[in-house]
Amino acid sequence: MNPVLAADITLPHINYGAIAPILILLGMACVGVLAEAFLPRTLRYPVQVLVSLVAQVAGLATIIGLALSNYAKKPTLTAGDALAVDGPGLFLQGAVLVLGIVATLLIAERSVERGGAFVAQAAVTAGSEADAEQARRQPSQTEIFPLSLFALGGMMLFVSANDLLTMFVALEVFSLPLYLMCALARRRRLLSQEAAVKYFLLGAFSSAFFVYGIAMLYGFAGSVKFHDIAVAAISSGKSDLLMFIGLAMLAIGLLFKAAAVPFHVWTPDVYQGAPTPVTALMASCTKVAAFGGILRIFYVAFLDSRWDWRPVIGVIAVLTMVIGAILAVTQTDIKRLLAYSSIANAGYVLTGVLAMQKDGISSSLFYLVTYGFTVLAAFGLVTLVRDQDGEATHLSRWAGLGRKAPVLAGVFTFLMLSFAGIPLTSGFTGKFAVFSAALGGGQTTLVIFGVLSSVLLAFPYLRVVVLMYLQEPAADAPTVAVPGALTSAALAIGAIVTLLLGVWPSVLLDVANSAAQFVG
Amino acid sequence: MTHVLAHPLAGQVLALASPGAMGTGEKVAFWVLGIIALGCAIAMVAARNAMHSALFLVVTMFCLGIFYIIQAGPFIGMAQIIVYTGAIMMLFLFVLMLVGRDVSDSLIETLRGQRTAGILVGLGLAGLLGGGIARALGSIDAKGLEQANATHGGNVPGLAALMFTRYVFAFEVTSALLITAAVGAMILAHVQRNGEKKTQKEQSRERFAEGNHPAPKAGPGVFAHSNSVATPAILPDGTRSARSISPLVEPRELTAEDTRPKDTLTGGGNQ
Amino acid sequence: MHPVIPYVVAALLFGVGVYGVLVRRNAVLLLMSIELMLNAVNLMFVTADTSIVGVPRSGQVFTLFVIVLAAAEVGVGLAVILRFFRLRASVETDGVGAATETDAPREADAPRAAVRPDPDGEAR
Repeated sequence: MNPVLAADITLPHINYGAIAPILILLGMACVGVLAEAFLPRTLRYPVQVLVSLVAQVAGLATIIGLALSNYAKKPTLTAGDALAVDGPGLFLQGAVLVLGIVATLLIAERSVERGGAFVAQAAVTAGSEADAEQARRQPSQTEIFPLSLFALGGMMLFVSANDLLTMFVALEVFSLPLYLMCALARRRRLLSQEAAVKYFLLGAFSSAFFVYGIAMLYGFAGSVKFHDIAVAAISSGKSDLLMFIGLAMLAIGLLFKAAAVPFHVWTPDVYQGAPTPVTALMASCTKVAAFGGILRIFYVAFLDSRWDWRPVIGVIAVLTMVIGAILAVTQTDIKRLLAYSSIANAGYVLTGVLAMQKDGISSSLFYLVTYGFTVLAAFGLVTLVRDQDGEATHLSRWAGLGRKAPVLAGVFTFLMLSFAGIPLTSGFTGKFAVFSAALGGGQTTLVIFGVLSSVLLAFPYLRVVVLMYLQEPAADAPTVAVPGALTSAALAIGAIVTLLLGVWPSVLLDVANSAAQFVG
Repeated sequence: MTHVLAHPLAGQVLALASPGAMGTGEKVAFWVLGIIALGCAIAMVAARNAMHSALFLVVTMFCLGIFYIIQAGPFIGMAQIIVYTGAIMMLFLFVLMLVGRDVSDSLIETLRGQRTAGILVGLGLAGLLGGGIARALGSIDAKGLEQANATHGGNVPGLAALMFTRYVFAFEVTSALLITAAVGAMILAHVQRNGEKKTQKEQSRERFAEGNHPAPKAGPGVFAHSNSVATPAILPDGTRSARSISPLVEPRELTAEDTRPKDTLTGGGNQ
Repeated sequence: MHPVIPYVVAALLFGVGVYGVLVRRNAVLLLMSIELMLNAVNLMFVTADTSIVGVPRSGQVFTLFVIVLAAAEVGVGLAVILRFFRLRASVETDGVGAATETDAPREADAPRAAVRPDPDGEAR
């Protein structure tokens, strides 16, 4: 036995209050797993929904409490400097949870598709007799709830991680549940499982690059803490080459999750194949988390070397906006269209990020929230347009919906106008915020490309609107399901927030502004 | 195997003071292991047979494990061998066996120039990274892990100390990852059986219960005019038995030609 | 020994892994190439420990984390791939995404069995 141990080790101080939101989410996820193991089948669904919503609401309440008790003004590091509790961190955690609650409402819906949008037994082979049986009768697998809690907890950890190791662990914690959730669609199971394979293989590939980047930066700075990397970037005697290779590798991992252009190939297939509520979760929460990580790395660890890498990321932002918009024009499937639109939107957020000053942070935070709510409502509406094969996602099937279902078509039109950036919607205020921040940061070229790409991107959105109102419905046109209480709530929240932030953006912009200070 | 450095000075000074911290044996071992590891890695991506690929990867990982042990990281070396070559690669081998041992990768290019592009990207990346590191590290010398091991009283206690102080939160969160992996594997593999499985006794009771025919079931074509598998048997009461034919076979109406009595003794229906 | 040699070996291993991911079409072999990349990273971390003046042994701790994460990732990944294999009877990644068009009719076929009632199910 070694006598050194007990004397030498002093446990780091962990401020449990400051990291309570993350602990609540991960802890409740464990409760969910236990409920899955011990409760009878009939009780699981109500208990899981309750656990899931209570966890997120409690987490959100704790975050608001922390923000009010001035953690945003006096940021702290805790758990051996592994976690930063600061303004952007709390804001992003709150954003993940607010969007997560709405997505959970969509996930929990069971009346639109009888039994819910998820497969009852993922292990039953698709197309078999047992599969037809479960598609008709059995309710969804309820493991989806603890998995989504793990994913949300991981995202919250990801946006507040203060060193690369914690960030990498958090990246995996939120990725693995997402890979699994992609494979659980009730209808079109083949497509869903292929999406999961594709997402998994490419995700694992990109996270290998991420961890290689960590190794390079560790070699460069002798530490994985963001602050130490920032110090080493100024004062280290070593060649900067090591740092730039490391940064490039990290950026590959992060931009993959954010779906920026050279690393976007998975997005349309996965968004299309995954169950629509999970797609909604990925389009909103994952995007917030990925950009949370990007913001923290760029603004804390690499702020002083920004002159060297900003042009490269700028090129990626331009490519993302332009290629996302061009490919969106050619799409014939509504889920793929929304996927390409989410790629282009990643470019707009990146434009805000590259402003590299305080309003760059606040405008990006604002944009992520506005886009998240709009995209959640849009995917929520996609779940409602159905025929006997499930969701009718092909655009031609949407022809004439304006006459069959005026309310749905009206709300969808409003959301499309918001995506297109028409004034009085949150899409306009969000784009205005990021573009003006980028102009302030001297990124005029980016803004020009951004405006051009949003003009181009308006075309596919308006095409959907024209299709819904000006074309005759087909004879076998899909029906529009009556949304259950949960979906209705999600849609109402999404649409109202889109309108509210369009006419009164200062509600959220002020919060984002006061939160926009990273702790180093 | 290695020099034992019980030097009291701090790491930096020591690194400058003793450039020859690694012994000749170590160098030779590394050259040998490095070449084997690299060769096996190349063989792994080039091998046509999936099984060979997996075994080449095992050798690469094993070499790296031994290398860690030589570099005075015995714990990490053993973890590499036990977890990587022992557990993870066994999992790979199981899956390869499940999907079919002779699933070999057809090395035909589907996209023209994909192989060349792959080689270029791989080599380019390796060259860029390797060259970059070589330039960046210029004059830094290895000092071996011995003096690092001297603090905290050895390798394993030192690792434990770090893991439970500096990186304790990441360590705790890893548990969430493992729970997710376990839950995920279970979701994708577990099939719920509907109801209890019948025991032999229950099956036997059921067979002799009232309203059931305990006798063997009629085969297809029995009492019928044709012995085709698509012809249902006719039960003694004259009804057709749906259970005499496979559910996969479409039943069909018999034509007059089918039902015509066929004279098998004189050479079939050709007359 | 100059630490650059293990670093370069690690870079080469990583490059070989990337090449494997790019040319392999069997999903299991593709995942194995990703494991090779992670091993290259581990070699870098351990080597970094011998040449860096930082917190001693941090690199080895990172290696441990990478090993654990890789184990979890492989567990989930192989489960997903096996599921995929059950469906397609193939682990080739070529066809991924190609099922978009063929998927709907196949599922329309699925309830066929229900059309033909079999009075005594599995007792047969």
